[in-house]
Amino acid sequence: MDFTQLIFYFFAAVLVFAAAMVITIRNPVKAALFLVLAFFSAACLWMLLQAEFLAIALVLVYVGAVMVLFLFVVMMLDINLLRLREGFGEYLPIGGIVAVLMVLEMAIILGPARFGLEKVPAPADHPAGYSNTRELGRLLYTDYAYPFEIAAVVLLVAIVAAIALTMRKRPETKYQDPAQQVRVQRNERLKIVKMEPSPKPPQGKRR
Amino acid sequence: MNPILTELAPLFPEIFVLAMACAILLIDLSLSQERRHVSFGLALLTLAGAAALTLSDHSGAARSVFHGMFLDDLMSDVLKLGIYALTFTVFVYSRAYLAARGMYRGEYFVLGLFGVLGMMVMASAGHLLVLYLGLELLSLSLYAMVAFQRDSYPATEAAMKYFVLGALASGMLLYGMSMLYGVTGSLDIAAVRQAVTGVSAANNVVLIFGLVFVLVGLAFKLGAVPFHMWIPDVYHGAPTSVTLYIATAPKLAAFAMVLRLLVGGLQDLAVAWQDMLIIMAILSMAVGNVIAIAQTNLKRMLAYSAISHMGFFLLGILSAGANGYGSALFYILVYAVMSLGAFGMVLLLSRAGHEAEQLDDFRGLNQRSPWYAFLMLLLMFSMAGVPPTAGFYAKLAVIQSVVQVDLVWLAAVAVLFSVIGAFYYLRVVKLMYFDAPADTNAIQSGLDMRALLTVNALALVAVTPWLGAFLDLCSRAILTLA
Amino acid sequence: MQNVYLAIPLACLAGALVSGLLGKVIGRAGAAAAAILGVAVACALSFVVFHDVMVAGHHFNGPVYTWGVSGGVPMEIGFLIDPLTAIMLVVVTFVSLMVHIYTIGYMHDDSGYQRFFSYIALFTFAMLILVMSNNFLQLFFGWEAVGLVSYLLIGFWYTRDSATFAQLKAFLVNRVGDLGFLLGIAAVFMYFNTLDYRAVFAIAPQFATATMQIVPGVDWQVMTVICLLLFVGAMGKSAQVPLHVWLPDSMEGPTPISALIHAATMVTAGVFMVARMSPLYELSETALSVVLVIGATTAITMALVGVVQNDIKRIVAYSTLSQLGYMMVALGVSAYSVGIFHLMTHAFFKALLFLAAGSVIIAMHHEQDIRKMGGLKKYMPVTFVTAWAGSLALAGIPPFAGFFSKDMIIEAVHYSQLPGSGFAYAAVLAGVFITAFYSFRMLFLVFHGKPRMDDHTKHHLRESPWVVTGPLVLLAIPSFLIGLLTIEPLLFGGYFADALKVLPAHDVVGRISRGYQGLGPFIAHGLQSPPFMLAAAGVLLAWLLYIRYPQLPDRIRARTQPLYDLLLNKYYADEFNDFVFARGARGLGRWFWRIGDVKLIDGMAVNGTARVVGWVAAAVRQVQSGYVYHYAFAMILGVFLLITFFLHR
Repeated sequence: MDFTQLIFYFFAAVLVFAAAMVITIRNPVKAALFLVLAFFSAACLWMLLQAEFLAIALVLVYVGAVMVLFLFVVMMLDINLLRLREGFGEYLPIGGIVAVLMVLEMAIILGPARFGLEKVPAPADHPAGYSNTRELGRLLYTDYAYPFEIAAVVLLVAIVAAIALTMRKRPETKYQDPAQQVRVQRNERLKIVKMEPSPKPPQGKRR
Repeated sequence: MNPILTELAPLFPEIFVLAMACAILLIDLSLSQERRHVSFGLALLTLAGAAALTLSDHSGAARSVFHGMFLDDLMSDVLKLGIYALTFTVFVYSRAYLAARGMYRGEYFVLGLFGVLGMMVMASAGHLLVLYLGLELLSLSLYAMVAFQRDSYPATEAAMKYFVLGALASGMLLYGMSMLYGVTGSLDIAAVRQAVTGVSAANNVVLIFGLVFVLVGLAFKLGAVPFHMWIPDVYHGAPTSVTLYIATAPKLAAFAMVLRLLVGGLQDLAVAWQDMLIIMAILSMAVGNVIAIAQTNLKRMLAYSAISHMGFFLLGILSAGANGYGSALFYILVYAVMSLGAFGMVLLLSRAGHEAEQLDDFRGLNQRSPWYAFLMLLLMFSMAGVPPTAGFYAKLAVIQSVVQVDLVWLAAVAVLFSVIGAFYYLRVVKLMYFDAPADTNAIQSGLDMRALLTVNALALVAVTPWLGAFLDLCSRAILTLA
Repeated sequence: MQNVYLAIPLACLAGALVSGLLGKVIGRAGAAAAAILGVAVACALSFVVFHDVMVAGHHFNGPVYTWGVSGGVPMEIGFLIDPLTAIMLVVVTFVSLMVHIYTIGYMHDDSGYQRFFSYIALFTFAMLILVMSNNFLQLFFGWEAVGLVSYLLIGFWYTRDSATFAQLKAFLVNRVGDLGFLLGIAAVFMYFNTLDYRAVFAIAPQFATATMQIVPGVDWQVMTVICLLLFVGAMGKSAQVPLHVWLPDSMEGPTPISALIHAATMVTAGVFMVARMSPLYELSETALSVVLVIGATTAITMALVGVVQNDIKRIVAYSTLSQLGYMMVALGVSAYSVGIFHLMTHAFFKALLFLAAGSVIIAMHHEQDIRKMGGLKKYMPVTFVTAWAGSLALAGIPPFAGFFSKDMIIEAVHYSQLPGSGFAYAAVLAGVFITAFYSFRMLFLVFHGKPRMDDHTKHHLRESPWVVTGPLVLLAIPSFLIGLLTIEPLLFGGYFADALKVLPAHDVVGRISRGYQGLGPFIAHGLQSPPFMLAAAGVLLAWLLYIRYPQLPDRIRARTQPLYDLLLNKYYADEFNDFVFARGARGLGRWFWRIGDVKLIDGMAVNGTARVVGWVAAAVRQVQSGYVYHYAFAMILGVFLLITFFLHR
């Protein structure tokens, strides 16, 4: 086991651990932070593969932008932790069994017997001056122009959908209109009600 | 013409739809609610234009653009034309319904058109990545459309469920694709096919492992048991006009996906996926038909009927032969038309403040309107597979294809379940003809919808003289793959 | 000529349709005219065809119209015109025409006048289709069609309980026969793979020794099985013991029907069919022997029952049964031509007797009990004379028609060496005596002696109108002459040479014809033979008992009460059928209904399936809980199971 492998296993272990923590930890803020850790580990793995651009994009975009935004949201929301975890214990046994079995099966199939280092040849070393970013860009704008365009459309649809679903004049949202406030009349705010001096208690009912 | 344009010619319909969708998005911003029909008209025009482009471009020979990522063959043309026609009808049926519920907005049609674009991409996909992106484009549009009625709790819930489960299914599909990539080293479907032929026995296990995940993605999209759970809830919760959309054209896209992946790419694994599909087909026919009986809500009943129809459709696919694929294409086309008509009837009977989605709403329809009762009768007979409707011939074709590959027992099972299924279709007929109406309001809907619905339902019987031609077209369409 | 063949049945069909469908429009007279015209045209054309076959010797065998092809087997309307068909055509259309004319008078006051004409014209059509057929399928069509019309006509007076009962009985008993017939046709098709007569007859000899196994281990001759199955059909249609029970009850129908359908034509369809199938029957001595024994049994037992009957129509009905037995006996000894000869003579004199009985019934205001008649000869001279002619023919007194045919049958049986021919000979000889006795018993009681009816009836007694007596006279002539005129050409002139096939070993008629020296010697020989003696004895006994010593019959009856009861109750056949078959079948049916239908099929199969489906639906529905994590879990479980199943199998 050489040094690279050691690094790989280290980051892989961290990734799996972090991912597991994301879904099991109680506190959503901590969960979000573990997700950040997971992204970092993944970025490091990509770095091992000499995919610098992807690694940096992951850190910049997901960790730097998305997750920070996400943290803000999580912190601002008042999430009922108890409700979130309701039924967790109830479903844990059966869910856990299935999960463990699944993992075992995947381990059998995807284990070193088929995807070991000796089975899958390492990619050839790149010459000096090789730029991962440039290669990616070249591919994206030539061979993969079509899927790239479609991906753009997907994003457009996502924006359209998000706006269509959220931007609206909510009937329950309260707005202030200064002009209306200024023009208010007395009888709109004050109502004089004639009442009996001492109302009789409701009859026949006791609390 | 510019050489680049010449090369892109097969893509013109897609480009046109995209450009028009963006244009409608912009134009719609400047329209007042009274002039919303401009967006509606433009959407219809887009579909008609795309159909014209697809038809005009059809040179007969299969072509590919972008290194085989985009395929233009007879199957994609047939499917695209089907998608245009179905979506066109969906838009026409939906207009009054949307207007009565404050959903008559440009985004509905824009999202619908983006969905169409996604389906077109799927129909022509020659690359796993493109296939996946097309699927996401379609799904994203659908999620948004389901949630379109923002103040409706059931619709929002349905959208949430659809989104979460859809994401899960997409994840599985991607995972499966990554396995295929891991073994074959390519995402190009043609290359995958070639690579699969030479895969060693050891790696075959990985292939099958990946195949399971791919199949799960497909089954989810089709709504085959046990990946069908979203169908009843989404069909039920979504606004009926959206249900109509989901229940029709996307089925054709799903067909394209199944054929491109299983037949185009993994034909050599047919032995493996055949058995998986047999299980799914039987379960779908059983669960769909049996649970449909217990439903009182027509939309939910039709959802289960959709599940059972997907079981029948899979019979054609799992026959793993040209006949089977042809009959499956025919089945899915006929099913889409039947489903269009059936949900169209729900829309027809709905009006402002009233959703005619309960079975009871069809009680005594014959007394309210004998003509629409008759059309519904045709639709139900066709769904049940009563001759001489197209639904019967579609069932016959898939069952024949199953018999041809010596799966007679499976054919017997299919017939048995279609008998069980006949019960709930005929119950609708019974309600319409033998019960007293609970609702005596006159049917209010536009002339356009009435005319189109009539054509829609009658087509199922009127097609009979040209059945041979249609079946022939279907079997030729899949020839480039099989 | 083909158009003529086609026109014969179609004229009758047209008459039936016009009088039936347009009956209200064209009125009673119009309906009668239409039906009679149709049958008259058919009758005239039949004589043309008969002449053409007799004189010019033209035969025809071919399809007219192919209405379907299934599995390479054509289904055709086809005609086979040969001497056998020709003679049947003439007999059927002539008797039918007489009955049609007679009906004008007999049904004069009936409200179902048009319906009646429509039915009998339709019957004539069906009967013609039956006799003209050149294949089994069409034969079966005609067979069923005449059965249908017979059913309709027995219950013509459908408000009478007894009529509807008789109708149902005839229908059910004929079902039994038809089952055999249909199985026979199926067997023919199975072995010969064709339904065309010519083809079947051509192939049949190859199967003369073929065997089949229905019960494992028991070899049955194919030809015997086929012939016996077909004969079961003939037994039903021609009312042979034990399927005879429907015929006496069929007398519930109007008398013209009894004459046409239940005496002259339809009931002889079985005889005709066996004769038509002579190339098949010749190949199976077993089958011939069965035909012989069944026929002889019918001839003797039914004649005995006739002795004790008091209803005028029933006496004639039992005599019909007995005479049908005679015909079967003739067929059994391979004397097919003799059987057909008797069929023809019988058609005339039995139709005559029925119509005469009908004439009496009209005069007696629908009183049918002969004990309440007597001395009618001075009121109804024409009926009286013609009834005498018919009775003499029936009793076989020379030179009436019945003498020749019956004498030939007895001779033929005498010459036969088939197993059972000894019994048959004794039976037919005894039958002659009994026949003579009961027919003259009826004649004496009705027309002679003192009038026994009440004064009112007596006051109104008068001869029937000419439409009734005309046919009587026209039928009396052939009853007298037809035997005399046709015995030579028909039996000894080789008239049936092509139509009927007789193996040399069975050829009893040929042996008789060698000794035949002309009509005179034949009659002279007849006068010295036992049959004539027995017939004369029968007539004498009838005279003694009913004219000379009228008090004797009661005393004899008192002495022989058990025998009398047995005969009066027709050997308790109806009671037996009622108890065993009718009640047994109903009991079985009820058992199947209670256990099979209500419990098993309705309860378990239908409602049970529905209930199980309902339960399953309700149960599986629970899975659709609405929780998205349940759905997701289901999906993951699905993936897990698929992987597990496909990777570790």
